[in-house]
Amino acid sequence: MSLTISITDGPTPTLALSGRLDTHTASDLEQVLNRLLAPGRKILRLVFDLSQLEYLSSAGIRCFVRARKAVEPTGGKVALVNPQPGVRKVLDIVRAVPPGGIFTSTAELDDYLDEMQRQVGEQNDPD
Amino acid sequence: MNAATRLPSVGAFRTVRARLLFWTIVVVTPIYAAALYLSFQATAQRLEQDAIGAADELAARLAMGLDAVIRPIEGGIRTVAYQLEEVDAPPSQYLQHIRGILSAWPDVYGSTIAIDVDDGADARPFAPYLFRVDDEIRYSDLATDDYAYRELPWYRAAADGGTAVWSAPYFDTGGGETWMVTYSVPYFRKHPGGARTLAGVVTADLDLEWLRRTAAAVSLGPMGIGWLSPADTASDFIAPIGDTPARINRFDSHIDASAVRAAGEAMLASGSTFGSWPRPAGAEPAYLAVRNLSTLGWHLTLVLPRDELLAQARQLLQRQIALGLLGLAVLVVAVSLVAAGIARPIRRLAMAVGGDLRFELPEAPRRDELGVLTAALRRLRDSLQEHVQLRAASLAAEAQLENELEVSARIQQSMLPHGDSLRALPAALEISVVLQPARHVGGDLYDYFPLHDGRVLFVVGDVSDKGIPAALFMARLSALLRVLGAAGGHSPDRLLAEINDRLVEGNDTCMFVTAGCGLLDPKTGRFRYASAGHDPPLLRTVEGAVQPVTVENGPAIGIEPTAHYPLREGVVAPGDALVLFTDGVTEAEAADGSQFGIERLVALLGESTDGNPAALIARIVAQVASHAADHHASDDLTLMAIRFSPADVLPHVVPDGAGWLIDVESSPTGLERAQRRLRGILQARDIEPVLRHNAELIAEEWLSNVVRAGAATSRQLSMDVALTRSQIALTFRDDGDAFDPLEAATPDLDADIAERPIGGLGLHLVRELATACQYTRIDGCNVLLVRLDRNT
Repeated sequence: MSLTISITDGPTPTLALSGRLDTHTASDLEQVLNRLLAPGRKILRLVFDLSQLEYLSSAGIRCFVRARKAVEPTGGKVALVNPQPGVRKVLDIVRAVPPGGIFTSTAELDDYLDEMQRQVGEQNDPD
Repeated sequence: MNAATRLPSVGAFRTVRARLLFWTIVVVTPIYAAALYLSFQATAQRLEQDAIGAADELAARLAMGLDAVIRPIEGGIRTVAYQLEEVDAPPSQYLQHIRGILSAWPDVYGSTIAIDVDDGADARPFAPYLFRVDDEIRYSDLATDDYAYRELPWYRAAADGGTAVWSAPYFDTGGGETWMVTYSVPYFRKHPGGARTLAGVVTADLDLEWLRRTAAAVSLGPMGIGWLSPADTASDFIAPIGDTPARINRFDSHIDASAVRAAGEAMLASGSTFGSWPRPAGAEPAYLAVRNLSTLGWHLTLVLPRDELLAQARQLLQRQIALGLLGLAVLVVAVSLVAAGIARPIRRLAMAVGGDLRFELPEAPRRDELGVLTAALRRLRDSLQEHVQLRAASLAAEAQLENELEVSARIQQSMLPHGDSLRALPAALEISVVLQPARHVGGDLYDYFPLHDGRVLFVVGDVSDKGIPAALFMARLSALLRVLGAAGGHSPDRLLAEINDRLVEGNDTCMFVTAGCGLLDPKTGRFRYASAGHDPPLLRTVEGAVQPVTVENGPAIGIEPTAHYPLREGVVAPGDALVLFTDGVTEAEAADGSQFGIERLVALLGESTDGNPAALIARIVAQVASHAADHHASDDLTLMAIRFSPADVLPHVVPDGAGWLIDVESSPTGLERAQRRLRGILQARDIEPVLRHNAELIAEEWLSNVVRAGAATSRQLSMDVALTRSQIALTFRDDGDAFDPLEAATPDLDADIAERPIGGLGLHLVRELATACQYTRIDGCNVLLVRLDRNT
């Protein structure tokens, strides 16, 4: 049982994690993130699809925290979508992402993103 | 060994010869005796009759002999008397007549013609008498004064009677001076007118001595004695007849002439002429024969001793006895020879009959029962030889078959895992198997072997038939398993399907096999299992629970052209054992027909305190054997037990559950392995996902923390997982520096992401997820007990 990472790259890259994200597999995700979050690249949203993630330990949480550290300074957001109950519980305990950063489904995320888009649009409108 | 020495000995009195002799003698002897007795009786009777006749005849003959001498004399005297009457000769001629008489009958001693003086004219007594003295004839006139002849009995009897008469013996004084008897004949003078008057008496004298000589001269014949005696008992004259004086000495002292005469007279008086002579006791029995002489009027008395009379009969009897004895002896010899003639060939036959069936029998053809017996023995011998040869041939064939079967059995054994395949097995698996074919070779099979990825394939199968056909089918199956299974990449369901495809092809005999096929990963305890119509395996857990590993059955292999086999996946915890079996176990029958049954098997597995596969199997096999007792196993029996026993885990039983002490190597890989163990245990016991997640997380966080912190100092690190119905208890122990995680600072989760330090989250998670945590420092070890309540 290991970790499988599927990357959908683009302006809003999505990482679908499948399997276990723990001490032993965190480094894999680390490497992917390192490539993805190359310095200078501006990422608005980084989405982790956790629906297939069975296990998450603190080592994995650190990855999410690192991702946030990399993305948020440039105004980006990290979204965790559809975590399984066990994983969700861990995420909640350690508050790995701010409230509102965890979505129960991609639809919810899309709605959220649309809203974000609209807000950005409104901000830009006065121009 | 000599056949003859083994012949049972026959008692001397039990032989055919002895029996024949015994019965011959017993039967023949009385018959002989009876025949002899009857024959003797008949002979004696006949001889007695003959003797009686002979005695009668003898008496008659003797009488006739004497009469024959005397009768002519009588006739002559009567003739003279007649002439005197007719001629009326003068007395002067009398002397001439007398002389004629004496010269005509030399036996006459003397004779006279005495004139009766009452006869008229010349009445002068005159009685000229001529008699013999020595060889001359003398004359005497009896008419003397002192010899008044007319008064003498010989004269008076004739004169008074008027007929011829013999006198009783008397002593004559008239001239003869001797004892005599006299025949007197009267003669008469005829007178005119027919009257007759006595003229005188003519006489002839017979000397008694002459009579005695005459009697002595008569031949008596071969036996008996006798006497001649006058009828007048006043005379005691008795003349012995023939050899009587010489023979009388042969008789007992009671015999003397006068007694015999008296007895004879008494017999005559009673009107009998022959009879047995009543004699005093002790005297010899004898017969008496009496005759009256018609001439002299004397009596002839004969004595015939019975012994003498029967001497011939006795002789005959003796001869018959002798002949009988001789006959008996001949019979005995003959019977003996015949018996020997029967017994000897029988004995020879018996001696010839040996134990090895190659014995020679007498060739000479006999036409009797022995020949029949010999022929029968020969037939028996030949058919026995033939039978023995056939038996030897069939035994050889059986031995050949047996040998082939044994070779087959060895080949079949060789198809089972052994040697290399056993050595190649991962240490984490303990496997024990037993296969007991009902016959030499069986239709059961099992196999297990590691695949290249380390997983172990295991199979238990049962071919529909038994014996050779099943074994051959099983061999195909076994080969396919090895080839297809070892090729790898096949999950049990696919493997079964593929084997089915191959075996369905050309399965004209319509054999099929039920099989359970599993794949077990010795690293994780994960397994996959598929069943082709086979009984589900039983899982015996560390806790002692036994449950079937259920899976939807696919069709038995060899039946459906395309078959689908559902797959069951699962995990076994360390210490759990899978038990596969064939129906030879559950259907083992006791003498009363009751089957061993799955319930008994389940109970037996549950009761076992030791989960060791070898012990489990030994126990089951023993119980099955004891159930079946002497009842012969009708089906092959196969049992396979696989226990997942990774070296780093020590399973143990705890109250209401089980525990696993996991030895954790202080390294990332060791950590990973320990995590895998925990995960496997939790999965095996179906712990619900969130709880499992939490438990795994706690273990990882704590262990990784210890490993990280104590990489240099910690040597001993372990985790004990105890599962009960209500909770999961994880006990971590390490000999690193004392560190109480509960004292560690709670990370500031509210701090901005930018300010938050990486790390510190793990312990926080542990504390947050656990129902309860407890830290103690014991014997230089950090001991952290984390409880997770299963009910939340």
